[in-house]
Amino acid sequence: MRGKIAVAALGIAAALVMTGCGTTGGTPTGAATSAGTETTAAAAKTPEDITFWLIGGDTPQELRDYLISQYKAVNGGTLTIEEQTWGDIITKLTTSMPDAANTPDVTEIGNTQSPTFTNIGAFLDISDMYAELGGSKLLQSFVEVGEVGGKNYTLPYYFGSRYMFYRTDVWKAAGYNEPPKTLDDFNKAVIDITAKNPSNIKDFSGLFLGGQDWRNGISWIFANGGELATVNNGTWTSTLSDPNTIKGLQQLQELQQKASMAPSTAKDQSPWLYINDTDSAKEEDGTVTSTSMLAATIMAPGWAHWSIGNLEQVDGKDSRVWDDSKFGVFALPGNDGKPAPVFAGGSNVGISAKSTHVEGAKDLMRIIFSKDYQEMLGKNGLGPANSDYVSALGDDQFAQALIASASNSKLTPAAPGWATVENSLKLEEFFQKVADGGDITALAAEYDALITPMLNGK
Amino acid sequence: MSTQTPTKRFRIRPSRIIAGFAAIVVALIWVFPVYWMISSSLLPNVVLTSTTPRFFPYGGSFDNYGSVLSAGMKDGQWWTSNFMRAMGVSLSVTLISVFFALLFAFLAALAISRFKFRGRKSFVLAILFIQMLPAEGLFIAQYKMMSSLGEATHGLIGLNSIIGVSILYIAAVIPFTVWMLRGFVAGVPAELEESAQVDGCTPTGAFFRITFPLLAPGLVASGVYAFLQAWNEFTIALVILQKEDMRSLPLWLRTFIQGSQARETDWGAVMAASTLVAIPVIIFFLCVQGRLTSGLVAGAVKG
Amino acid sequence: MPTSPAVEIIPTTQRSLNKKKFHVAPYVLILPAIIMLLVAMGYPLVWQIWASFQHFGLAQQFGAPPDFVGFENYVAVFTSTQTWAVVARSLAFCLVNAILTVLIGVGIALLMNAVNKAIRLILQIAMLLAWAMPVVAAVTVWIWVFDWRRGIINYLFGLGTHNWLGTSLSLYFVATVIVVWMSVPFVAFSVYAGLTQVSEEVMEAAQLDGASGIARFFEIIVPMIRPVLMIVILLQVIWDLRVFTQIRMLQDAQTPLNSDLLGTFIYRLGVGSGDFSMASALSIFVLIITVLFSIAYVIQLVKEDS
Repeated sequence: MRGKIAVAALGIAAALVMTGCGTTGGTPTGAATSAGTETTAAAAKTPEDITFWLIGGDTPQELRDYLISQYKAVNGGTLTIEEQTWGDIITKLTTSMPDAANTPDVTEIGNTQSPTFTNIGAFLDISDMYAELGGSKLLQSFVEVGEVGGKNYTLPYYFGSRYMFYRTDVWKAAGYNEPPKTLDDFNKAVIDITAKNPSNIKDFSGLFLGGQDWRNGISWIFANGGELATVNNGTWTSTLSDPNTIKGLQQLQELQQKASMAPSTAKDQSPWLYINDTDSAKEEDGTVTSTSMLAATIMAPGWAHWSIGNLEQVDGKDSRVWDDSKFGVFALPGNDGKPAPVFAGGSNVGISAKSTHVEGAKDLMRIIFSKDYQEMLGKNGLGPANSDYVSALGDDQFAQALIASASNSKLTPAAPGWATVENSLKLEEFFQKVADGGDITALAAEYDALITPMLNGK
Repeated sequence: MSTQTPTKRFRIRPSRIIAGFAAIVVALIWVFPVYWMISSSLLPNVVLTSTTPRFFPYGGSFDNYGSVLSAGMKDGQWWTSNFMRAMGVSLSVTLISVFFALLFAFLAALAISRFKFRGRKSFVLAILFIQMLPAEGLFIAQYKMMSSLGEATHGLIGLNSIIGVSILYIAAVIPFTVWMLRGFVAGVPAELEESAQVDGCTPTGAFFRITFPLLAPGLVASGVYAFLQAWNEFTIALVILQKEDMRSLPLWLRTFIQGSQARETDWGAVMAASTLVAIPVIIFFLCVQGRLTSGLVAGAVKG
Repeated sequence: MPTSPAVEIIPTTQRSLNKKKFHVAPYVLILPAIIMLLVAMGYPLVWQIWASFQHFGLAQQFGAPPDFVGFENYVAVFTSTQTWAVVARSLAFCLVNAILTVLIGVGIALLMNAVNKAIRLILQIAMLLAWAMPVVAAVTVWIWVFDWRRGIINYLFGLGTHNWLGTSLSLYFVATVIVVWMSVPFVAFSVYAGLTQVSEEVMEAAQLDGASGIARFFEIIVPMIRPVLMIVILLQVIWDLRVFTQIRMLQDAQTPLNSDLLGTFIYRLGVGSGDFSMASALSIFVLIITVLFSIAYVIQLVKEDS
């Protein structure tokens, strides 16, 4: 995977002609800045051995190594990083966090999962460190989901808003030379491209959007001024029936019916497979199998660009190489001149309330929010929590699209029962039924009634 | 496909040819997913994500295995990789579970098949009904229990402990193994032991020389069951074996698959990882294969 | 498995004991098994029963005191149409899978018995390989085989991009393929072991003469392997009713509407949604249903056994 980044970066640098981006100035693909520079001497502190849970493989190895060595230097103790999976993290947090003997001292947590766990007191109040760790410079929508009653419990770890990847060649063939400027234009364009189907591909999608993919689908709700839920005097109400939400859902339904041939049960997994055109290798007898391109546009997190491109041999290995004559990116536009408010992917980080190594845990938090580490996140394509260091993302087209989409991004409601709502899979059900052409008003009322009690559930 | 009949038969009967043909077809169907896994594990991901499947792994390599086996290595030593650590955990847990489950189940089977005693029926009913309790609701309580046990025993029996998780596995397989072994024990006539004693064996000697060998197929069969349960289990393990270096193979595989999915599922690597998890079981099975299948027929039971 | 009735003669090792008198030996023998069961299941079961009468959610898990709510959780479980829908789906799934598994298993056992040694070995090794596949690995392979875009099934049968995991019924079909594929080897080997104890003359007579062979199969062979069949059927029903890993992993790939079976439903309620009391009540409820459904069968089984 690392190799592919380098390859992709080279590809971009080589051919930055048509998108009009500035030169990349060399996106460093992450040679670890050597750690030793600011070794705060471990004064008279007792070294503490702590555990840090990361979820998934998003944090690259060099960043992990940096945390471990830096923690050793600052605290003197040993930092153990354990990688958890998104699929099982709730199970793990539910069992371990109340258990002082086995809790991780610091843990990453999905930003949409954070409200549930902060509300029941799973995290330590770190309001006293808030200013020190970045304060108002930190991504505020993420700070909010880690906040209860004005106190800070979890803080943003990184963000990764989704933006659009598109086939410039297919769009051009259908008569679109520029990315759309408004959401309405975008909707019209992808429907039109699907109808024109310039490459004449069976089951072709102008926009590939899975029916159950509510994380991308909510962008249309947000862009029309709608919300998933609102809070009044501490009571949450699901607002799928709100007129603005309905308007967004209607647009989404039209797209699902006329632009996306994705299965209605598809979620947001690996959509990039569908916009590569040679997804297959040359057979041994020399025949090349049929093109597998299925879509002109997808919505995906920034790192998807490593998996998008032409299939080429690099160092004797088949790899994807980004090709600017075929592929492009843009942030989903809104109708108000700003980018559409898309779902802000990413996660938070906090100290377990049951941690018995609070000093060590706080040392680790300071390292995570330090300039060096924040810049390392940025260089690896993960949006840094602190706005001062967002420039570390670079200024290539991917960084620009990421920053643009993140500038107006939104999070799911900070309701105490939000994790319950996600785990119940009710949103997947609802969005699938909408995608299948169901009666939006009736469905919205039905699911409002189901979701509202969950939102407040204690 | 030859339908060569054993020597003592004289005619090749049409029904045997059909049966032989059917058997081969069934064998192919059953083995196909296994073949597909191994074949895919040898191919690079870009080939696998093609819409045209490649039926034979030409152009394949062991690269996927290399990347799977090297993940998490310390100091470049292959035996320190995540996979090898998980293998160590799985082997320990499985061997302990199989040994004690068989031992305890055998003793209990002896009791219920050779003795009439008050409570026998309740015990038999209990071991049948206990299997009907859905395990998915027990995790939290099992976690709490292991956490407290861990504090009481300084981690000997508890979370992230081989013994802790083994106890849960032993309990999970005992009901079935007791039931299975009971049949085998009952099938060995006690007269056999008695006649051996007449021939000059001590009672213990008679047991080990006569009864035990006759039970071997039964022990193998229930051992296979216990082995598979312990080797495959992942929901209890998920809750009890939380530390990264205490993960068992199914957990490691699940982490690997999910970690891979977060970006682009590397099917080649996932299939290589799956193959690696399956290999020890396949070896174990091929070793006990003879006993498992033909051993059941063995002499005295029939005669 | 042996067909002879359980022998009541006291083994020689215990000859000094009189079987009429109370003796300690059987209790000593079952003690380790009972201790293991008590240690591993005792406390969790008691906790589960206790929790099923409380309000015990995520907040209680993190230290808030639970409230006693009496039978409220049970009433909620019992009156929820969703519960009954899940129960009905699980029962249907379980019956279909158990029946298919046993039928195919018996068929393959008969095949093993009918073919010559070499082919039998091939068949047995194929069965062993399938049986030896770790569940997580097996389900992963099958998900890929059925993948809507690159799955070999769609390719071979020219189904284009048919989405096998798109509806719950279709997902259950895939799950059935996986469950049957994985469970048949056990049934086949058990029944085959039973068949080998039927005398060869009987077997040959029964398997040879075409149409009448079927009748003979039911008249001669089935009664002889009845003990094996009884237990195999019971076990398949119990196991298929509790099917969890396969469904959960398929749902991880795609989650069509209403695809939960009992195992995943309890898991989603409990660890998934943090409603441990409802999950506990549901578990107890499931235990009771299963016992009710199988009690006649189990009593028959135990009677035949002794």
